[in-house]
Formats: sequence, C-alpha cells, structure tokens
Amino acid sequence: MTAPDDMPGPSPAAPAAGPPAAPVLSARDVVIRYGGVTAVNGLSMDAFAAEAVGLIGPNGAGKSSFLAALGGQARIQSGSISLAGQNVSRLPAHARARRGIARTFQLTSEFSGMTTFENLVTAGHGAAGASLASVLAHPRRSRQQDLAMARRAWEVLERFELADIANAYGRELSGGQRRLVEIMRCLMRSPTVLLLDEPMVGVAPHLVDRMVADLKAIRDDGISLIIVEHALEVVRELCDRVVVMADGASIAAGSYEQVVKDREVQAAYLG
Amino acid sequence: MLSSWTFFISTLVVYFGVDLLSGLSLNLQFGYAGVINFGYIIFQAAGAYAAAVVTLGPSGPASFQHYVFGAKLPFPLPLLLATAVGAALAGVVGLFGLRRIRRDYQAVVLLIVSLIALQLVQADVPLFNGSNGLVGIPRPLQSQLALTPQGYQWAYAAWVLALCALVYLLVRWLSKSTWGRSLRAVRDQEDAAASLGLNVTALRLQVFVIGGAIAGLSGGLLVEFIGAWSPDAWGYAETFVIFTAMFVGGVGNYRGVLLGVLLVPILFLQLPQFLPQIGYPGLTGSLEWIIVGLVWMAILLLRPQGILPERRALALPDLSREAA
Repeated sequence: MTAPDDMPGPSPAAPAAGPPAAPVLSARDVVIRYGGVTAVNGLSMDAFAAEAVGLIGPNGAGKSSFLAALGGQARIQSGSISLAGQNVSRLPAHARARRGIARTFQLTSEFSGMTTFENLVTAGHGAAGASLASVLAHPRRSRQQDLAMARRAWEVLERFELADIANAYGRELSGGQRRLVEIMRCLMRSPTVLLLDEPMVGVAPHLVDRMVADLKAIRDDGISLIIVEHALEVVRELCDRVVVMADGASIAAGSYEQVVKDREVQAAYLG
Repeated sequence: MLSSWTFFISTLVVYFGVDLLSGLSLNLQFGYAGVINFGYIIFQAAGAYAAAVVTLGPSGPASFQHYVFGAKLPFPLPLLLATAVGAALAGVVGLFGLRRIRRDYQAVVLLIVSLIALQLVQADVPLFNGSNGLVGIPRPLQSQLALTPQGYQWAYAAWVLALCALVYLLVRWLSKSTWGRSLRAVRDQEDAAASLGLNVTALRLQVFVIGGAIAGLSGGLLVEFIGAWSPDAWGYAETFVIFTAMFVGGVGNYRGVLLGVLLVPILFLQLPQFLPQIGYPGLTGSLEWIIVGLVWMAILLLRPQGILPERRALALPDLSREAA
C-alpha cells in the first residue's frame, strides 16, 4: 500500500510554492473482494486536476477492478473514495457520473445500435435527457436542449476530425473509432475525472500517436486522467505519474522513469 | 352470409387493435429499453379483470360468480381503471423483477411470475372465480348507442383503432425523445449508460410501468368486447405470439410492429380456420403454437432485424453553423 503523500514527482496541479492543491479524486485503503479472491488490497492514491496518472502492472494485478471501484461499477469492501472532498464510496455509478466521473471500458462500450452522433448527444444530455417528467412537461424546452446538444456534439466530432462518421452505427465503427467515440462521449459530460481502461487496445498503430495527443489535450484542459494501460510507451508519453500494482497493491509510484528502474517492479513484470 | 362476414371482420379488427397495443407496449419495453417482458400477459389480464369487475356491478352472496371490488362504473372509467391497474401491477412487479440482474434472468423471473399468477387465479375462487373466470360483462354504451349488432361491432372497432392511433403516436413520440434515446443507450450497454449518469433501474421501471399501462388498457378493451374473462385465455404463450409478431415485423420499428401484428396473430393464426381440419380435433390449434415458435426461430436466423428494421436516426444539423 502506498500513501499518496509518499508518491514522488510533483503534480502539475501542485505548484512548488504555496499550499498543495487538493486532489480531485482520492482513494484510501480500498479493498475489493470477489468471493474469496482479493482483487485490490488496501490501495490508496490521489489524482489532481490537469494530471494524467498511469496504473500499470501485470495481468491480474487489480487495475481494472480498482478503476471500476472508482467509477462505481465495483463495490468496495472497505476504504473510501472521495470526489472533490466528498465521500462517494456508497454512490452508484450513475450518481458518481453526475458528480463528474466519466469512464471508458476495457471492452469498448459504444451504444452499438445508435449512431456516433446519438452516442454523443445521449451522453451530453445525461440524466437531464433521461427525465421522463421533463420530456412530458416541457417538450419544447427538451427539443431546444437537444439542438444545443447537437451543436456541442458537432464541435466534439470536429475536434476529433470524425464528423464523417456521425451517422455510422456504433457497430459499424473500427476498434479505434469505437475507442474515440467512448472518449468523445465522456467529453460531452464535461467531466472532472476521466477513467480510461486500456484505451489503446484495438487501436491501429498509426492512430495511437494521435490518440495520445488527444488525451494530452484533454488533460491540459484541466481534466484529471487515470489510465490503465499495458502499452508502456503510451504511459511514458502521456502520464505525469505512474502507480504500479501487483497482487492488488501498489508496489511503486513515481514518474515513469523512476518506476521502471524499481527492482520490485521489474520482478513483478518478469516474474 | 354477408352479416357473418362483417361480424367476423369487425371482430378481427378489434383483435388486431388489442394485439397492436400489445406490440406497441412490448416494442417500447424490449425494442427500446431491452426489457424482455415474458410476463406481459399478466398486466393485460389484470387490466381486463379490473375493467370486468367495475362493469359487472357488485357481487352478492347469491351471485353465481365471485370477484372483488364489484361496481358499475360508467364508460370510460373501467378502461381508465384497467390502465391504472396495469401500470400499478407493473410498478410492483418491476420493483423486484427489474433489479440489476442479467437481462435473461429478468426474462425468466417475469415468465415465472406469469406462471404463478395463472395458477393463483385458477386456484382462488373467492377472488377471481377460479378457472370459470367471469362472464356476462356488459358491453360499454351498447344500450345508449342503440345501434344494430353489426353497427355496434364496427363502432367498437373504430373506438379501438382510435385508441391504437393515440397510443401509437404517444409511444413513437416518447421513443424519439431524449428519454427514448436514453432507453436505447440502456438497451445497448447498461454499464456505459450508467457511467454517463443514466439511472438504469429507474429508466427500466418507467418503461415497464408505461408498458403495463398499455397492457392494462388493451386487456380492458378486449374484455369489454368479448364480455368474458377466463384465466385460461391469458396463458404465457400469448406473450410469445406478440414477441414473434414484433420480431417478424422489426424490433424497434413501430411500423414493423404493425406489420408483424397483421401477419402473425391476425393473418397467420386466423387463416387455419379456413383450412380443412387435419387429424384429431384440436391438432390444428396445437400445430399453430409449434409453427409460431418455428417462425420466431426462423426470423432470428434469417433476418434478425425483421422485415422493417429499426430506422437510423440521422444527426441533427448544426443550426448555428448553417446560419453562419
């Protein structure tokens, strides 16, 4: 277990002078068990605004489980998760999303029977769009909000140069496009924290650099990124800090250059 | 001869309307929200029972049939009550049946609920009159309208079609709204939908209640038309006929559902009446059920999107840019 204070390497949000910035997301002593198997064993970490944190480690280290706990998809047995200082440990996934956590999934999770455009607009509306009362009571306002959301969806599509797939169904997209749709959908939520579970899986090699650049731009917009990723060159390029997990716990934390030299990390990877 | 044909066709129109309402309800629930409501028939039956008991009048000790809440409410209150009962029962069943468990498990839970409900109704004489069901349910406004029997048949058929048109427009509008789009998101990927702030359970419950209301309405319309309510007529297999119609016509496409209802429960299940009987009495009827199952499997294998697939919703234009 690594206390956040032990993590070397300054956060971009924590200037050298003055008091350190408060973390956007904070996890303390998180434990996740599936039956008799402990997937995460007392992990703690902080994430700051405009910072990318990489979660790496061998298969079965508990990275995706930890990410699911942050997003509300997995229940924690003990410990706590705070978002902007508020404990969200017991909140369901949709309630955390409304407070600013967005995420992508290990297996792409585009809405396959909806167009790219619909994927984005649905995300943009979020809970407000899903309100039956609002649709019934204020149909005209609902329509106006839909038009406003359409404008925003076009902006995001153009930012990612994907306007030409606006009318393609999710199931018709390539693996890389599906990953981008997931990320664009998250951006439509204007999140404060973006959780990315292996965002480069299935992405064509020539698109990886472009996705890294996109994610850097998102980070620089002030969003906190927490990324589970096996491609270490991506982690090196993108992440300000790296937490290395093995057997459900953190075995090292710091900059990429620091953790790859760590003997325990090398042992965990090489077995 | 002519009058028997007009009687038959007007009856078919009413059956078509009732089945269309069922198709619209199931399409909203399954086609848009992915809820596999294999217990659909109990909401229709509950609406029918509610409409029947508030039309029959109070049930006294000397009455030959037993039921509860007997009253004689004027038209159209029994139908409104049927709608409300369908919705309320769906709310209760949905609260435990739509918990966050796998969708196929939900389907099994709902199927089991419908089987239990049928057994309960057949066994409980004081509440539901057991297997005998209820008979002698008066037709609404029959004496006030003073029409010929044929005229009344057609008037009732027109009334059913008018309600179908209303429900059709309502569900289509809801499905195209932001709420309907949220349902499709839940249908396609519920974890991702939740991670975008959508309350998956609440959305499913809402669509379940709306579907239950439509089911109750359709049951009320049917029972007031045929004048009888028999538990045996509300078996789970009836639900599968509507599912087959929906898959044949096209899941997620209301015009497809309309087509499917015309083809399966109306054309396909009525045609054998005009064919020579084969084998022992009742064999044709039994074969119908088997063939319905085969049709469903065949459409899933050969054209899973149905005859009229779900239509692609094209992106809204960026009005600000177009103005510039």
